[in-house]
Amino acid sequence: MNAIEIIGLTKIYFSSGGRKKVEALKDVSFEVATGSIFGLLGPNGAGKTTLIKIILGITHPTTGTAMLLNTSIDNYFIRRKIGYLPENHKYPTYLTGVEVLKYFGQLAGAEPNSLKKKTDELLELVKLSNWKKNKIKTYSKGMMQRLGLAQALINDPEIIFLDEPTDGVDPIGRKEIRDILADLKAQGKTIFLNSHLLSEVELVTDRIAILNKGVLLKIGSVTELTEKKEEYKISVDAENLIEEIASSGRSFHLKPQKINGGYSINVSGDEELNLFIDFLRSKNYLIKEIVPLKSSLEDLFINIVNESEKGMK
Amino acid sequence: MLYTLREAFARKVFLFFMIISGLILLTEIVIFSMVDTEKIIVSLNSTGDPLMRGQIIEKIELAVYSFITSLLLLLAIFASASFVPNMLEKGTVDLFLSKPISRSQLLLGKYFGGLLVVFINISFLILGMWLLVSFKFSYWDFSFLSTILFIVFTFAVLYSLLVFFGVLTQGSTAGMMIAYFIYIILSPLLAQAYIQIDVWTENKIYIYLVKGLYYIVPKTAELLGTDAINVVTGAGIDDYQPIITSFLFLILMLGFSIVLFRKKDF
Repeated sequence: MNAIEIIGLTKIYFSSGGRKKVEALKDVSFEVATGSIFGLLGPNGAGKTTLIKIILGITHPTTGTAMLLNTSIDNYFIRRKIGYLPENHKYPTYLTGVEVLKYFGQLAGAEPNSLKKKTDELLELVKLSNWKKNKIKTYSKGMMQRLGLAQALINDPEIIFLDEPTDGVDPIGRKEIRDILADLKAQGKTIFLNSHLLSEVELVTDRIAILNKGVLLKIGSVTELTEKKEEYKISVDAENLIEEIASSGRSFHLKPQKINGGYSINVSGDEELNLFIDFLRSKNYLIKEIVPLKSSLEDLFINIVNESEKGMK
Repeated sequence: MLYTLREAFARKVFLFFMIISGLILLTEIVIFSMVDTEKIIVSLNSTGDPLMRGQIIEKIELAVYSFITSLLLLLAIFASASFVPNMLEKGTVDLFLSKPISRSQLLLGKYFGGLLVVFINISFLILGMWLLVSFKFSYWDFSFLSTILFIVFTFAVLYSLLVFFGVLTQGSTAGMMIAYFIYIILSPLLAQAYIQIDVWTENKIYIYLVKGLYYIVPKTAELLGTDAINVVTGAGIDDYQPIITSFLFLILMLGFSIVLFRKKDF
């Protein structure tokens, strides 16, 4: 079952004169499975925040729609089951941490009887219990971010949208937030994450989508997307493998290259990989490991965005 | 709505109003203690007619009322102009709009919250003034308290304009300037022009223009002037048109604000 369905979302912003138009989203469609962590990636101005804002009713789509838990986003009651941590959120500075959670909990339709208990639990979870009675104007950026996360969870939502949740948080705090996200996933919650920190996204997400200039470029699991097709690392006890292949007269298309602890090879298909293994075995080489090679999410992201930029020119 | 009250407390709106109100009441106490008011009343009421005495006290009340009304409204507009723009600030509006509340509810919550803030503050001052005058003259004229309703209603009309411009511009300056312009210049001017225009010109276009404008613009001058004074003096309201057309203006402004707010992207 899908928690989120985006159906052909397009958003065009017109300038005040109505002449210039910016297409922030171009016919974007995808789904997010219930109970998964989904990461939306893209450079600045890609349309990530616009997409979240449309889903949450903050901005209106030009065409298309979205469904949350099988309910149209036009039905604002569905937001009872949604938590949201916006980027650069701004709470009334005259409130204390407890009051922020109480206020936004009431607005979010949290159960009034359990609100106090939930407030205390969440402040404990984000490690702000000692600061709960302090005015939030005394909070640091990282503390505000943790309070924002608690606010997003106050109504015990089924889907949580987090826009740059670790922005301004120190490395220990980031690790804690990652742990919280893992716990939430274990509870069956769906998390929609929008972050610039690719290494973090790689650590926590099940699936990602890459957006650039309003166009959805790629979508899939991190493993699927980062796997280098038909490229393997073979660890083998052989000093002169490259020369051996050349002198064997075998017509392999592969070009082994020495990398630490082994060789990296590109094969033209599974058949060639198997022929190569046969060749190594026939030479009595000890094969220690065969691992499909992966690129980092950062490399993948940069390649995809650069390719799309070239395609758009 | 209650959080608008909280916001007003936090932004020291109440403190500000209370200090101003306190100063006005203190001035009244000082004047009453320095001036032999009874002597003045006797000199004005040589026949000793108790009915006449009441009318003189009402006039004293109205003189004080006229003096403070302008000040109160100017302060109320200033204090409440930022309630809606504050809610629409980047980073804040996202939090509100992502909650399971309709945009109309959010906006009306801010509107009635602002109204409640002003109602409390104005009631405090008018009630204080009324108590002082009543104790001083041992004359208990409850009709004077109806001025609270007139001031709050006039503010409600102008506040609907502030809300509209707050949504339109996401700032408080334009709304404040227009509200002040209507209250200080346009409404008193149109009230006079409406009566005098037939004498001033024979040009039908000008006459229709002025009279048309008169009906559109909220009639703050009449609401706080003749209407309020007539109620206090017991004459009653002889013409409900200023109240009705101002109320229609309020409804229209709130309606436009809601439509605009519902369509707007943030």
